[in-house]
Amino acid sequence: MPVTIDPTALGMPVELGQISRELKKLWEQDGGVSTRASLINLAVYCEGVESMRANTELIMEFTHEHACRAILIGYEPGSENQIHAWINAHCHLSRAGAKQVCCEQISFLFEGDTKKRIANILFSNLDSDLPLYLLWRGEFHDPVDEQLWAWVDRLIFDSQSWRDPKSQFALLKDSLVRSKSRLTLCDLNWTRSLHLRQALAQMFDHAENLSVLDNLKTVAIAHAPNFRSTALLLVGWFAAQLKLVFVKNEGSAFVYLNPHGNEVLFSLTAEEGRSISRCELTSDTGSIRLQRDGAGDFFRVEVRLTDNRVYNHLLPAGINATATLILEEIGGGGQHKVYLNALAASEVLL
Amino acid sequence: MPQPCNVVIFGASGDLTYRKLIPALYNLAADGDLPAALSVVGFARREKSDESFRKELQEAVGKFSRQGLNDELWKSFGERIFYHQSEFGDLEGYKRLAERLNQLDADHNTGGNRLFYLSVAPSEFGGILEKLAAVGLNKAREGAWSRVIVEKPFGTDLPSAQKLNGIVNTVFREKETYRIDHFLGKETAQNIMVLRFANSIFEPLWNHRYIDHIQITAAEPLGVEARGPYYESSGALRDMVQNHLLQLLCLVAMEPPTDLTADSVRDEKVKVVRALRPMSTEDVASNVVRGQYAAGAINGKEVIGYRAEERVSTESMTETYVALKLHVDNWRWADVPFYVRVGKRLPKGGTEIAIQFKNAPGVLFNKDAAAVGPNVLVIRIQPDEGISLRIQAKRPGAAVRVEPVKMDFHYGTSFGKASPEAYERLLLDAMSGDATLFARRDEVEGAWKFIDLIEEAWHQNPTPPALCEYPAGSWGPAEADALLERDGRAWRRM
Repeated sequence: MPVTIDPTALGMPVELGQISRELKKLWEQDGGVSTRASLINLAVYCEGVESMRANTELIMEFTHEHACRAILIGYEPGSENQIHAWINAHCHLSRAGAKQVCCEQISFLFEGDTKKRIANILFSNLDSDLPLYLLWRGEFHDPVDEQLWAWVDRLIFDSQSWRDPKSQFALLKDSLVRSKSRLTLCDLNWTRSLHLRQALAQMFDHAENLSVLDNLKTVAIAHAPNFRSTALLLVGWFAAQLKLVFVKNEGSAFVYLNPHGNEVLFSLTAEEGRSISRCELTSDTGSIRLQRDGAGDFFRVEVRLTDNRVYNHLLPAGINATATLILEEIGGGGQHKVYLNALAASEVLL
Repeated sequence: MPQPCNVVIFGASGDLTYRKLIPALYNLAADGDLPAALSVVGFARREKSDESFRKELQEAVGKFSRQGLNDELWKSFGERIFYHQSEFGDLEGYKRLAERLNQLDADHNTGGNRLFYLSVAPSEFGGILEKLAAVGLNKAREGAWSRVIVEKPFGTDLPSAQKLNGIVNTVFREKETYRIDHFLGKETAQNIMVLRFANSIFEPLWNHRYIDHIQITAAEPLGVEARGPYYESSGALRDMVQNHLLQLLCLVAMEPPTDLTADSVRDEKVKVVRALRPMSTEDVASNVVRGQYAAGAINGKEVIGYRAEERVSTESMTETYVALKLHVDNWRWADVPFYVRVGKRLPKGGTEIAIQFKNAPGVLFNKDAAAVGPNVLVIRIQPDEGISLRIQAKRPGAAVRVEPVKMDFHYGTSFGKASPEAYERLLLDAMSGDATLFARRDEVEGAWKFIDLIEEAWHQNPTPPALCEYPAGSWGPAEADALLERDGRAWRRM
């Protein structure tokens, strides 16, 4: 790759109709030192030029772990009707040897009233036969491009950043029906709680602890002030997995009924700290408390049973940086049925 | 190396001469593939001198040759190019041409070998051939040869193709007739036979037992440009499917020939054409989708719809897109559909053949077979000629996560040499007397017979299937997607 291209920037400006040719030239200049790698098409949609730079850094970070053709789509409303394009590549030394592995990035800035051309430009620049993952940064706007939706395999978004999750989810649901899309929804807000859910689930691998779930009375969740939606999805997960039925709100708490007809109370508390810093399950037969300290990389889990036995565990809490969340998300695959059930169960709480 | 000869191009002032034919001959000369004794005579109506013709061609070579222009080479190559002005219907012009060719034979020792290239509208074929015969140019002298290359479109339906073939074959014998289809001159098209028959891993799988379906796509972002009147009388089906795409289908579907001689290969291709399942009017309604582009955007620029194009009827019913589901009724391809699509104003340009294999059972991976994903072998005819194979691989990590990956072969990078242009190979073959990459009469007529059934269902039917609209810059009408969806399949993404 020519060293003159700054990989953190958008790269070399190119004409819209010449992108394939310019990319080919870029690789020819390279003289075989690097290997072009791509497993997926990763399209990233964002708004504003500054956001394009930030997302280029995100792409650079992502491509270290997952080869892709990245297509960055920036939208700047209110300007003249113009579309600009750049090409770039992110290279790193492969783990296996001396050859550099490079991923292409094609960036587009759609200005003014050119947004409707996004689908055409995206389609004409996809790496053939590879899945299309669309990372949507920010809020969805009505109407969404149905043609685009129909082509996306996985739609990645972060519902934590939405001002009004209820209306955003409704819009998303509606547009998926209209476009007849079968894409998989990948909510980074859900991925954010992955390690916590795994840590909790592990506690019930031991049959003795299952009684805590059967007789669950309360679930107390502490979340950072901007992460209430993360906590609500977690409540939805409990409700869907334990087949709880929502009864009512009680202040900031929610009352559910379990299949035996007993009440389960979920309470949410906003506290400074990690997105979810604490989750405590209590029942007549014991309690499970999961806590993450401010700077810690682990969850400390305490299982306390009624006969005063106490077990402590230390489990990885994961990293909540966006690139890591995306990698976790893509690495996990699947249709996300558990998420969809959790989302359906949490809709009433949004 | 072919024998020395004179190449006569009828319609020499046309685009094809400047963009393709002369640059192709120049590239062959640059690669040392042309005989030293070769001359080119351009035959056209316009007044022009040898010098002005050469000057125009020099510019064209500078622009369109894949090797650029070398002044020294051009000097020697250009000296062997001549211009012959005449009306196509003027017998005197042909008499003068015969004299000129005799003189060139004497001056350049071209041995009386002649290759006539008809780069003209089919309506001119008959007149030109008749005049060539009238002055005896169709008959080579003892020990020499006389051949004719005919450009497409070779007819507009079966009767017109039969009529044209009749005319050509009264003047030239079939073995002297070369019906050109430039797709067959492309390196990757030629490589289809090598891929299939020189690799033991593919041919055993190349049948209904292992192949789920085959897709052939020819997409281009361009509209009709200045070809409105031609396109109005032709449409995508006649312009592309009858010739290029059915030729590719034949190469993919044919049985191994007994050898690589022209007739052995073409015998096998003809068998495929004959095995194409004929379509009834009902079949056309359910298995063929025709579309026409409306206004939209290509490469970010707004473009007009087909009916607003120059010299196109505002009520035109001409198709700029066709998607077909075909069946080759023989043992090898029983129940394997061939999905063929061609269209203008699509987001991306390219011609590709995709062989989609049946899914492996997904039971080991806790998935149904479809979720694991099929192997797909893609043969890229143009651009960036090459082959890719999609396989499933385990993603590194503790969990068994299966992901598709692509193994890619690019002609350009693997052989470190640009593939020759299709016309280079085809002109060279015609000069060498090798007709393997040219269509034979029975192939052409067989293809028309099949295509005519579709045209009839569209145009001679009181309730013809709808002409679907698609916005320029999209991948065609929704009905084309539905054609595959109802079989539980989807068009691949190019």
